[in-house]
Amino acid sequence: MDCPLRFLLKLLAVLIIGTALGLAATWLTVSKLSIGTVSDGPWRTSLLIGSAQSGPYLRANVALHGLLALNRGETMYYTADHDSAGGWLDGNCVYKIEGREPSARWWSITAYGADDYLMANKDDKWSISGETVQLKSDSTFIITASPRKAFSNWLPLSQRRFSLTIRLYNPGAGVVNDPANAMLPTIKRSVCL
Amino acid sequence: MRRLALWIVAALAVAAVVHYVTLMDTPGFIMKRVMMKMGEANTIHHQGRVTAASRGVVRPSPDLLYSVCPFDLTNGALHVTAPVPPGTYWSVSLFDAQTNNFFVKNDKDAKGKVDLLLTTPYVDVKRPAGAQEVVAPTPKGLVLFRTLINKEEDFAAIDAVRRKANCTFIRSHAS
Repeated sequence: MDCPLRFLLKLLAVLIIGTALGLAATWLTVSKLSIGTVSDGPWRTSLLIGSAQSGPYLRANVALHGLLALNRGETMYYTADHDSAGGWLDGNCVYKIEGREPSARWWSITAYGADDYLMANKDDKWSISGETVQLKSDSTFIITASPRKAFSNWLPLSQRRFSLTIRLYNPGAGVVNDPANAMLPTIKRSVCL
Repeated sequence: MRRLALWIVAALAVAAVVHYVTLMDTPGFIMKRVMMKMGEANTIHHQGRVTAASRGVVRPSPDLLYSVCPFDLTNGALHVTAPVPPGTYWSVSLFDAQTNNFFVKNDKDAKGKVDLLLTTPYVDVKRPAGAQEVVAPTPKGLVLFRTLINKEEDFAAIDAVRRKANCTFIRSHAS
């Protein structure tokens, strides 16, 4: 028979270890699981964002990754933290984002820092949209995401870890029905500084 | 040996309870924090332009203007009215306390204006004539207006129209 003090210490240890395990399980399942996502090249989107989903895992996942986001009939959000070759996006490098205008009433590409907020830069420039992008004669575009100023279609980077989000407002039916084939731009790493 | 197994089972049971409680509380906790950041309930808050200093909600769009009404329908309903800025994307979306998007209407659907009565089955209020009734799944949540700045030169005009949106609380007869 344990003495009372030893019993209390064991009980305390059980509570601490159990609480730590429970919190770790929640963090892992909510922050690391990619529930209901599809990919189009380096771009990932959650098909659950903005929708009322049953089940605590799906609900917590949506709350954390798609807070106040709209349902996909209204807006689709694709995020990339890797380039098209599979490498992590690195803010010390130059990236060429090449493609055609996505099928949507309005679109934009925005760069975010590791904390999921806009990165401070001298030009106060954080996105390029269908209104501001300069298209080539064949209606394609090349956006340059880099820490140093580019000649045109420049998306400034000021943090080492960053990610990109494409927003498609009122996306075309083809994108809504087949989000893995949205024909989104490629992200190619050029040089690193 | 058997005693050790019992302690391990007890630790796993504690872990299961902590995991379940934190998982269930995550959406409500996140939404409550966001609503507190947004300001007083049942009042519209027109936010300034999104910049690198903005810390309201993660991954904000720098191309949108946001206006929000955190709502609390415990003792009444919320009358939401807004003119739709012409020539740009605009939407009003409603989120419950668990972060679910339970209603959205954009500029194409709204045809010039929105007039909503956001209510719950538990309150009895004088209904504004012509308002579309929307029942909220939870008494607390958020109304979010998005207005796209599609051309920089139109910013002042777009901003002036979106600031005409309003959220007016209507107290329940019973309260």
